Amino acid sequence: MNGPNSSFFLRHEFLIRRLHSLSGLIPVGAYMVVHLLVNSTLINGAGAFQTNVHKIHALGKFLLPVEWAFIFLPIIFHAVVGVWIIRSGQSNHSQYRFTANWRYTLQRWTGVIAIVFIFTHVFHLHGWFHAQWWLENVAQPLGMAQFRPYNAASTLAQGMQNYGWPPFYLVGILACVYHFANGLWTMGITWGLWVSPAGQRRATLACAVVGLLLFGVGLTALVATQVTDPEEARGVEDRMYESEDGDR
Amino acid sequence: MADNQRVVIIGGGLAGLSATMKLCELGIPVDLISLTQVKRSHSVCAQGGINSCNEQTRQLGDSEWKHFDDTVYGGDFLQQQPPVKEMAYWAPKVIDLMDRLGVTFNRTFEGYLDRRRFGGTLYKRTAFAGATTGQQLLYALDEQVRRWETQGMVRKFEFWDFLGPVLDEEGRCVGAVAQDLVTMEIHAFPAAATIVASGGCGLIFGKSTMSVFCNGSAVSRCFQVGAKYGNPEFIQVHPTAIPGSDKLRLMSESARGEGGRVWVPRTPQDPRPPKQIPESERYYFLEERYPQYGNLVPRDIATREIFNICVNEGLSVEKGRMAVYLDLTHIPREELDRKLGGILEIYEKFQGVDPREQPMKIFPAVHYSMGGLWVDFAKSSDGGLQAGDPANQRTNIEGLYAIGECDYQYHGANRLGANSLLSCIFSGLFVGPCIQTYIKQSGGAAVTRTPSTLFDAAVSAQQKRHEDLLNCRGGENPYLLHQELGDVMTRAATVVRHNDQLDSAYAKVEELQQRAARASISDTGSWTNQNVVFTKALQDMFPVAKAILRGARLRDECRGAHYKPEFAMPSLTETDPEARRREAEQWCDRFEENNRRYLKSTIARWNGTDPDISYEDVDTSLIPPRPRLYGLVGAEIIEQVWRERQAKRKEQVATAGQ
Amino acid sequence: MSAPTPANPSSPAHPTKVNVRVLRQDGPGQPAYWERHQVDYEENMNVISVLQKIAAQAQTVDGKKVAPVAWECGCLEEVCGSCTMVINGRVRQSCSALVDSLLAENATEIELRPMEKYPVIRDLVVDRSRLFHALKRLQAWVPVDTYGHLGPGPRINRPQQEEMYPLSKCMSCGCCMDACPQYQKIELQRRPGESDEQYQRRKEAAYEQGFVGAAPISQVVLFNSHPTGKSIADGRLDALTETGGIQVCGNAQNCVAVCPKDIPLTKSIARAGRAATLHSIKRFLEK
Repeated sequence: MNGPNSSFFLRHEFLIRRLHSLSGLIPVGAYMVVHLLVNSTLINGAGAFQTNVHKIHALGKFLLPVEWAFIFLPIIFHAVVGVWIIRSGQSNHSQYRFTANWRYTLQRWTGVIAIVFIFTHVFHLHGWFHAQWWLENVAQPLGMAQFRPYNAASTLAQGMQNYGWPPFYLVGILACVYHFANGLWTMGITWGLWVSPAGQRRATLACAVVGLLLFGVGLTALVATQVTDPEEARGVEDRMYESEDGDR
Repeated sequence: MADNQRVVIIGGGLAGLSATMKLCELGIPVDLISLTQVKRSHSVCAQGGINSCNEQTRQLGDSEWKHFDDTVYGGDFLQQQPPVKEMAYWAPKVIDLMDRLGVTFNRTFEGYLDRRRFGGTLYKRTAFAGATTGQQLLYALDEQVRRWETQGMVRKFEFWDFLGPVLDEEGRCVGAVAQDLVTMEIHAFPAAATIVASGGCGLIFGKSTMSVFCNGSAVSRCFQVGAKYGNPEFIQVHPTAIPGSDKLRLMSESARGEGGRVWVPRTPQDPRPPKQIPESERYYFLEERYPQYGNLVPRDIATREIFNICVNEGLSVEKGRMAVYLDLTHIPREELDRKLGGILEIYEKFQGVDPREQPMKIFPAVHYSMGGLWVDFAKSSDGGLQAGDPANQRTNIEGLYAIGECDYQYHGANRLGANSLLSCIFSGLFVGPCIQTYIKQSGGAAVTRTPSTLFDAAVSAQQKRHEDLLNCRGGENPYLLHQELGDVMTRAATVVRHNDQLDSAYAKVEELQQRAARASISDTGSWTNQNVVFTKALQDMFPVAKAILRGARLRDECRGAHYKPEFAMPSLTETDPEARRREAEQWCDRFEENNRRYLKSTIARWNGTDPDISYEDVDTSLIPPRPRLYGLVGAEIIEQVWRERQAKRKEQVATAGQ
Repeated sequence: MSAPTPANPSSPAHPTKVNVRVLRQDGPGQPAYWERHQVDYEENMNVISVLQKIAAQAQTVDGKKVAPVAWECGCLEEVCGSCTMVINGRVRQSCSALVDSLLAENATEIELRPMEKYPVIRDLVVDRSRLFHALKRLQAWVPVDTYGHLGPGPRINRPQQEEMYPLSKCMSCGCCMDACPQYQKIELQRRPGESDEQYQRRKEAAYEQGFVGAAPISQVVLFNSHPTGKSIADGRLDALTETGGIQVCGNAQNCVAVCPKDIPLTKSIARAGRAATLHSIKRFLEK
């Protein structure tokens, strides 16, 4: 009974929203878990972190397509559809103060925060585009595009040496982690994994544990950026670079 | 599905919906007019269940005939027997159909329908869906009607008020006039046949167990244009309801069917909490007085006993308010939740007390009108109904039919529990082919040949009534008048009736009727004006109220729900066997004499200002009347005398026949 | 009777008067306005009896003569679903809303508003036809062959019946939809010169773009689990995955929290969600 006048979104609403739900876990959520885990290795020192970054960059020419296919496009899809979903609803937590309703509203707020955070975060460390003129004329003058994969720890630590960034990242990580953990829970209902109210309560608990652990990981990464001394890290990276060079 | 076959049905409860779906199946389109969304009809309030003889009871000696017999005996022989017989024989099929339609009846472990016992029978005949059986049955029918609606066979006119039938010059009903309760527009609905399925008239008693839609106005509007009204005085007062300020909420008979016990403390208004009163100090008055049926005596008897224990014996559990205990606390909580969850929730929600922990406080309340529009029937050779005969369920107005609670013929002087759902669905299903035949015979003439001026005139007459009401400034408040009417009727015409009270009540109702003609409407708008709709309904309550009072006044006997203490059949007092035997003979003489006078249907006809009462014979050809002896002292000897007389009579008939 | 006297604060359980604030609206498209009423307190009173008193006195607390407040009610025992409204900010049945407990929530007054997600017809009366249209869309019935006698229905064991019965208690009151943040109001104005049928068709087309809501989803679960009802399960799931289908659910779970009949709506939604996914995968692979 879908009328010809309804929008593309409405006509394919079921498929789009199921893909949206799925993309929240695979690949976006899964990527976030890996990303936070890798970043948290900074706490073990610049060397450990650099090793992991190297592993990622070992993809070489494949890295960009892989990043776009499995990270950027899914995130953009998840974000665009997410905004459309937010616009399709109207929160009423102040009227119906039930826990699940608060979670519904928070899911939407954290989604918006996550979008702002992720886009800023990518600008901050990667500058969005790798075109030279863009980096030199726009991103870097604004204090963005800070990260250099071959000086991973030092540039990261350097980039985070500003009083504004740590709280910004804390809020961002919190939002992303909540959005992920709660999204996991709603996904389980949407796909019919946890069905009964009791099952859903147990799932809430499990998702909360996942969220707390992940937040711990994220916090570790954030703390690591603050305790890493860029100069010292630079030294480690240089040594690694040299030894690698030597290996070649 | 030619439009000249279209049938108009007034009311979308069990009867109206089952008739609708049956007619649709027969290819006849239906316009369904209802005061509310049909899914919200009063049938949802029926709690306990629906009766039929079934495989389990059959093995204990039950049969359709026994169901028929229980119904007639419980109704004190005032029913026309052929329709009741037909209904009892259809009952198992009706339940099978409802089962197929997906009603979530309670089940045994093996997956068969579970049954419970109800009042007035010794068999577990009652199929049930928790304690919301009426709701479940109604939803199943509602769903089927929605299915036909999507196929274009049904047009629903929900939130429409039926204002009256349209009659042609020959007095045939050719359709109806109704008003849209949102826009207040009045329209005519030409119809090959019109079926009234508008339910009971409890609102005449102010507060009752009925929904606010049950104001009796549809029936009254037919009555006022010449339809006969049968047995108006027979109003069932349900023994157990929860007193409330806006409504008396039903506490189903199933509470007793599942083992609930009615008692009062032997000490009047014993201040102790009920659970602390020891067994020996409790008076289980129904069990003591009616050892065979116990708490499950027929409703009229239970009601009078509860009324009596509070009013005459002063044993009400509370001072200043009348109530007795209905106790379920001895039954395991889990079982209660499974079988009675719905009604226990109602008690808990509205009284704030958990009936699984504390006995409930209950008192009788007006519940059902056994009487209603007089309808005809066509008797078959086996004593049932002739299927498909257009006379069945037809009022004295050709083309106008009545089914469900608003017809008079199934329940006599007292309805047995769990028979109302049956009679509603049965009459709805059964009337379908009868209407089909009628339309075939008349060729839909009502629609094709009636001049449109007739409908226009009917609409403008109603339009005039509506506008006159809007302009009326008589100063009377319709809501307060309704309260007064309810008080008068409840005092004079419920559990116990006295002739002097009935006379003064009639005078009072007359006065109220005149005042209601001067009602001021506080809302003069032309959009969703509930005020004027209510006032119209109120004005139309008076003819029925008068018929109830007059019917009761003229019936000097006790029969079923109609009870006048002055005319009660006495218990036997003699102790000497021979004297007792003589007394029993006299008792039976008096019983026979009384039946000769009063075993008749009361027929009311409206003469414009008052009801004229006449009497019609009752078809008792299948089961000869016998004394209704629940709990009477001397019942055994009376029964014996009666049996001997019947045997002798049979013998005489046999010899005369040779 | 000039100023509203608040319920006696010293004995909040037994005030002598009850103050009521009603959000009124004279008709579709008209402005809504608040009106204050005051009625005598009675024990065990519910909102229905408050509204009955308001109708009988037909004047505001300031003594201004007004038309009675229009509202819908039916059984008064919470099985018909008529009398739904927003009472003290929460959607519920007015028959089972007892004044004592409302005053415990807010001792100064009781606030009555029409349901939020359905177009107001007048005062507290709303048009819930969208809800019933959803039941048509989802074919919420058992497709039997005939109403003639064909013997008993399919055998259903007790655990299965116990799963189905709570779902079949749904009285289409609309509470679950009214509290749902994903269920948006659809209100059309009649165009000049438009016939009843045209208006009706336009409304139905609009309803079909909107969310079906929790109660109808639960009915799909009920009928898809019935042995005969399941024969058209695919059609129901098709409808459930169209525009406005189950995918719109945002798992706020207000539905189950406000349902007056304690129907396990979120369980139904999860079950329907699973079925809908499997169904659409099947459709994708087999079509």
